[in-house]
Amino acid sequence: MKKLSENTTDLLQEIKTEASELPKNKRRDFMLNGLKLTAGTALATTVGQVAASQSNLPPNVPEWSKTLGRGVVSVPYGLPSSYESDVIRRTVEWLTADKIASISMTPLHEMSGIITPSGLHFERYHGGVPDINPNEHRLMINGMVDRPLLFTMDDLMRFPSESHIHFLECPANGGMEWRGAQMEALQFTHGMLSGSEWTGVRLSTLLQEAGIKPGAKWVLAEGADAAGMSRSIPIDKALDDTLIVFAQNGEMLRPEQGYPVRLFTPGWEGNTSVKWLRRIEVGDMPWEHREETSKYTDLLADGTARRHTFVQEVNSVITSPCPEKPIQGKGLLQLEGIAWSGRGKVKRVDVSLDGGVSWQTAKIKGLVLTKSLTRFSMEINWQGEPLLLQSRAIDETGYVQPTLAQLREARGTNSIYHKNSIHTWQVQTDGAVNNVQLG
Amino acid sequence: MYNSVKKKFKTLVLAVAAQGLLTSTVAFADESKYGFGRTATQEEIAGWDIDIRPDGQGLPAGSGSVADGEGLYEAKCASCHGLFGEGEGRWPVLAGGEGTLAHERPEKTVGSYWPYASTLWDYTRRAMPFTAPQSLTADETYAITAYVLYLNEIVDEEFVLSKENFSTIKMPNEPNFFEDDRPDVKNTTCMKDCKDPASIKVVSTIAGVTPLEHLEEGAAETAAEAASETTHGKAIYNQSCAVCHDHGVAGSPKTGDADAWGDRIATGTEMLVKRAITGYVGDEGVMPPKGGNMSLSDEDVAEAVHYMIEKSQ
Ligand code: HEC
Ligand code: HEC
Repeated sequence: MKKLSENTTDLLQEIKTEASELPKNKRRDFMLNGLKLTAGTALATTVGQVAASQSNLPPNVPEWSKTLGRGVVSVPYGLPSSYESDVIRRTVEWLTADKIASISMTPLHEMSGIITPSGLHFERYHGGVPDINPNEHRLMINGMVDRPLLFTMDDLMRFPSESHIHFLECPANGGMEWRGAQMEALQFTHGMLSGSEWTGVRLSTLLQEAGIKPGAKWVLAEGADAAGMSRSIPIDKALDDTLIVFAQNGEMLRPEQGYPVRLFTPGWEGNTSVKWLRRIEVGDMPWEHREETSKYTDLLADGTARRHTFVQEVNSVITSPCPEKPIQGKGLLQLEGIAWSGRGKVKRVDVSLDGGVSWQTAKIKGLVLTKSLTRFSMEINWQGEPLLLQSRAIDETGYVQPTLAQLREARGTNSIYHKNSIHTWQVQTDGAVNNVQLG
Repeated sequence: MYNSVKKKFKTLVLAVAAQGLLTSTVAFADESKYGFGRTATQEEIAGWDIDIRPDGQGLPAGSGSVADGEGLYEAKCASCHGLFGEGEGRWPVLAGGEGTLAHERPEKTVGSYWPYASTLWDYTRRAMPFTAPQSLTADETYAITAYVLYLNEIVDEEFVLSKENFSTIKMPNEPNFFEDDRPDVKNTTCMKDCKDPASIKVVSTIAGVTPLEHLEEGAAETAAEAASETTHGKAIYNQSCAVCHDHGVAGSPKTGDADAWGDRIATGTEMLVKRAITGYVGDEGVMPPKGGNMSLSDEDVAEAVHYMIEKSQ
């Protein structure tokens, strides 16, 4: 994203120096120690926990069975169990100069199904999260329309609404790894990705209400935040599946996701789904604002740059095992992952255990929806052999997720955005999982 | 779910009938319309329609010279972007980098990468200075835009930028953008013997750059503690002061750095609060009034200063 983009090169240089200054293999040592704890048989942490809570295990009757629990509305808005306190969004501090124009990632390794809890949806904004009073918020439609309109939130919610399950992904997801693997955790390699049920009014309904003038080809969406985020959207997309969204996963949007109203462009790069939406202008050419020129354009090795790269092409990743979720022990292993495509439905996912020499088709689990996270799984019998795990998704257009070598060959390593290549996890004999790339 | 009328239910009985009538008149006016919302006035549109296009559409009347821009830039932009657009610390670089786009380490700046000058005008008014967006006048924006173009050697130092001559500015990199033509790669669905296993080389990660503290023992508690200690002062600080004081940007004393704060704290809290409110030019740099966020009350600023002192003792 912005800061990634602009600073990636410097960052990578910084990283190299920083890395070489660090005690060598600090991380690896930690990981191995961690694994001895989890993958071995006599597990230090588990042993500790067992000792502390022996009295709650059979044949004893646990504490919580012998006392009454909390009453209703003692927590009027429910929260996760206190034992889940490490399931949180995280950021990588060195990516951006400050936390106001920055990004945080979803803990994908802790997620089930295809919906991300709203409070764990990744965050990305350029001028902080505004605190908007919905009664004082307005959505304006102006430009090439018969009648410019101004809507209150009440007005908007009187129009017919729709609910759809879609993923939302920042096009810089994975963008730190064009030159080499450097993020030792799934949360950081793929966490600029979430899935939600979005509810709102079709933009086409509102444009019809205003009446589009002949010759209209683009719309500008503009936010009410301090960044005044603005993106140009071709009219075809605006009249297709683009929504003016006010609710996410059954409740009003979270402030970080654009409360009280945002644009949502299914399958397209996250930045085009402008949050805190205050205005839609209809025009006959793109505006070429900062987020569609300086940023969110894809620089190629020859110095030319691709622009208006809206679609998030098919992508997939194995979520278990992963660096944060090493294999627990020998025996049957439920390998799981997610796949998604901005062009439609995921048709098939193949898994390789040997770095792409041979592939097997995985089972699709649960719902297969257009432009949505789609879960896949495969049962394997692991007997402690080292693995090079990969997943390769194919969408309904027939497009096959590419290898990193293919992407680098076509684009070089300075594109930042839209790195949707096959990802490799290296499984060690003790079950530890490392992020690697294949040369 | 949001509904501004939820408290009005008791008084609704009579109102419903009257409103029902009203809505139906509107709806009957044009059968294809819902009739919700109202016409936006020209005045309302003028206040919000701030976008500028490459063809100049949207530019307000006005002008500004490179010379005027220099002073404005140094006062409002240089603390982050550097006197020559070179970027202080990790803040964005605005100038230089010509001819580097095809290099191993390209430097993308306004001059080397941006295809249109209108983008600079639009973004500067819309989003900069970072701590006070939409605070520049049209003439100031023309002048600062002219100056940033001058730093990039796109206009000369005598130049005066105006609505009238805006379209004469051509950015050198404009021809190098092309429309999305993906898919640009084609993988196959090979299932067997797809490559020679002996050809596989495993390249590991660069160690030590991922924040992994949370995977170590006891991490959850630390995170919970950190999350619970939110104060108003801290919130204000994060919003308006951290941009500089977190990292010591622009010569500001870094929060938490007891050495940098020792002498300052010794002058007394009252003095520090006063300077934070009214602004202050010291030996190290410029502390803008209220950190550039004039919407803060004096109390807000005082609380932020208290928080900074507490963290820096
Ligand atoms: C407090 C620090 C600060 C000050 C002061 C500041 N900026 Fe910025 N500027 C930023 C940050 C941070 C960004 C990147 C925001 C983002 O990530 O979206 C930025 C981005 C920019 C960019 C876009 C850079 C790119 O490559 O896309 C321009 C142009 C710019 N600023 C111009 C200005 C001008 C002109 C001024 C003075 C009127 C100014 N800035 C004052 C912090 C600052
Ligand atoms: C654009 C950068 C910037 C921002 C934003 C900023 N400061 Fe500062 N601040 C500075 C600089 C530079 C100095 C040091 C000036 C000197 O001593 O030369 C400073 C100094 C100070 C001092 C010490 C004054 C003294 O007498 O030594 C205080 C207190 C302070 N800032 C508070 C704040 C508060 C509170 C905010 C937010 C409301 C804030 N600053 C935002 C740049 C900034």
